[in-house]
Amino acid sequence: MTVVLQQGINGVVLGSLYVLVALGLTLVYGVLVQINFAHADVVTLGAFSAYFFMHGLGGGYLPSIAVALVIGAALGWLMNAAVFAPLRHRGNELLPLIATIGVSIMLENAMLAWFGPIPYAFESPYSNDVIRFGHVFITQQNVLIVATSIATIALLYAFMKFTFLGKALRAVSQDRETAGLMGINPDRIVMLTFMIACALAGMAGALLGPVLVLTPFAGTSVIVKAFAIVIIGGFGNVEGTILAGLLVGLIESFTTQYLDTGMIDIVVFGLLLLTLALRPTGLIAERREENV
Amino acid sequence: MSRSRRFIVAPAIAAGLVVVALASMTPAARAQGKVIKIGALLPISGPGSYFGVQDKQGIELALEQLNKAGVNGYKFEVKYEDSACGPLPATQAAKRLVEQYKPDVALGEECSDATLAIMPIMAQAKVPLINAGSSAIKITEPGNPWTFRIFPDEVMQGNNIAANAYNKLNARTAVLLHENTNAGIGNAKVFAEAFAKLGGKILADIGFGRDVNDFTAIATRIAGLGQVDVIPTYTLEGQGLKITQALMQAGVTKGGGGKAIQLGTIWLPFGFEQKAGKAALGYVRAVQFDPLDKRPLVHDFIAAFKAKYNASPTHLNAHAYDQIMLIADVVRRGATNAQSIRDELAKTKNLPAITGTITFDAHNQNSSMDTIHYMETQPDLSWKALGWN
Repeated sequence: MTVVLQQGINGVVLGSLYVLVALGLTLVYGVLVQINFAHADVVTLGAFSAYFFMHGLGGGYLPSIAVALVIGAALGWLMNAAVFAPLRHRGNELLPLIATIGVSIMLENAMLAWFGPIPYAFESPYSNDVIRFGHVFITQQNVLIVATSIATIALLYAFMKFTFLGKALRAVSQDRETAGLMGINPDRIVMLTFMIACALAGMAGALLGPVLVLTPFAGTSVIVKAFAIVIIGGFGNVEGTILAGLLVGLIESFTTQYLDTGMIDIVVFGLLLLTLALRPTGLIAERREENV
Repeated sequence: MSRSRRFIVAPAIAAGLVVVALASMTPAARAQGKVIKIGALLPISGPGSYFGVQDKQGIELALEQLNKAGVNGYKFEVKYEDSACGPLPATQAAKRLVEQYKPDVALGEECSDATLAIMPIMAQAKVPLINAGSSAIKITEPGNPWTFRIFPDEVMQGNNIAANAYNKLNARTAVLLHENTNAGIGNAKVFAEAFAKLGGKILADIGFGRDVNDFTAIATRIAGLGQVDVIPTYTLEGQGLKITQALMQAGVTKGGGGKAIQLGTIWLPFGFEQKAGKAALGYVRAVQFDPLDKRPLVHDFIAAFKAKYNASPTHLNAHAYDQIMLIADVVRRGATNAQSIRDELAKTKNLPAITGTITFDAHNQNSSMDTIHYMETQPDLSWKALGWN
């Protein structure tokens, strides 16, 4: 029973970690119907920003999360303004998609040149502090990840539901042209979407840095799962992404316990194929007008 | 003298002077300008790139020392190619190297899967390949005349680690943790067989992909297995760090109040303990180079490395340095091209090197066990040489 409870906790933590990364992906897809392959590298850059804020400037870990969030947002603005927006205006949907791959490779290699390939030991003050309840344990870092995931989801929901900008974002997601006719500037909303998504990715990087192996390829190692989660949950569907993230996290933990770690990808991607075959719109039925 | 005649006579005199000058030079001096071309297939990108970065430092130091005077009139030149620790990029890099650079001898790779991929390319091109970091038995066991390994293979390592775990640490139960690669699976299998033969019991054999980041679930599973004495772990540094920390958090290893001792391999670089923190307490691991080795050549190597890089050398720096010095040794013995380098390499016996000594057996495997050194992480994260071999 203890093992089941412990693996349940492990699964929720892992799921929260995936959700943090996948939220930005699904947000961009919901508004732009575009997959951002550079998302993983923003996660990595967020982790490095937090690391160097702490170890280079002597800052605290919690402020470093805010720093990573701001740097992520700034990078989102820069990527969209310099690359994606000009390509989108050419009217070819394929160009920005390919550009995200180019930006991803460029960022990865730039980080390799700047930070080197040797793994960094990114320890937060909470990494090794373990809270124990009998035989069940959780690190403070993991508590922080779960709490931040819940808070982020709540804030994102409130932003979308109750603010003008959030409503504008949903309007652009539903019908860009009609939203434009209603006085909403779609380009600014797209920019805002990129900034929010990349801010989330940067923040996720700062939280995941102490959990992941911090190298220039850190984000890449979670992005494949994040894409699977976005597909299983329903592309562009925030609720579906959350559900799928937790599901994948739990599957990984219990597969490790009762089957074999080597079976994880078989089970997760088997689920992905099953979802595509039986519910191509994802776990939560597609309601395009209510996505994001 | 007419103008046209001058045009004929002047070059003839100049050519004659050159011939006379060349004839009066010593053989060594004549060889000046001759170069032994070394192709280095190293992981420079990807998760194994820390190997490439540190290998390159060792290689550059060796080149700097050798090229001051040369060896038998030969200088040494290295062309680096990124083989990325994977079979596909390694194959592409090896083909590029063979077709474009045409090396006399090649080094690499570090990862067994990549080494196995490049071996047939080098054999076909008849270029000797020196390996210092791949442990898969398949590399030398079938017998390949063109591949030489100065590093203990997985059987030598696994048998030795299992014997020391059983006899020195009194371990009777073990859980195997390994990446799902040729080297990871092979090393774990050898340990399991040797440990079982001695009377030990394997409680679980847990393999994982290189994309796994969170090892809490694995640590939880191990914590539920009862008394675990040793956990032989076969991974690259990044995942190794996370495993060590997860085992501590789950209370399995000494750092977390448990009793299990993690056993590591030559795969991990120096500095691992400092990155892992108190989770590394009691970690026993094999390294390929002992900085406390009293031999003068080790002392000189450490001093030269510190002078060049302002840092202490790691075993990766050391084994890369050894590879170049081995090539220099065969050139000193008269080798001048790929075929003669291969022939002289095969004759190598008791060559003193930084990592130990080099003696190739009939399969071109270094049979010396003095390249395996054991160390244990102390509470202050320093380490103690155990002197087991």
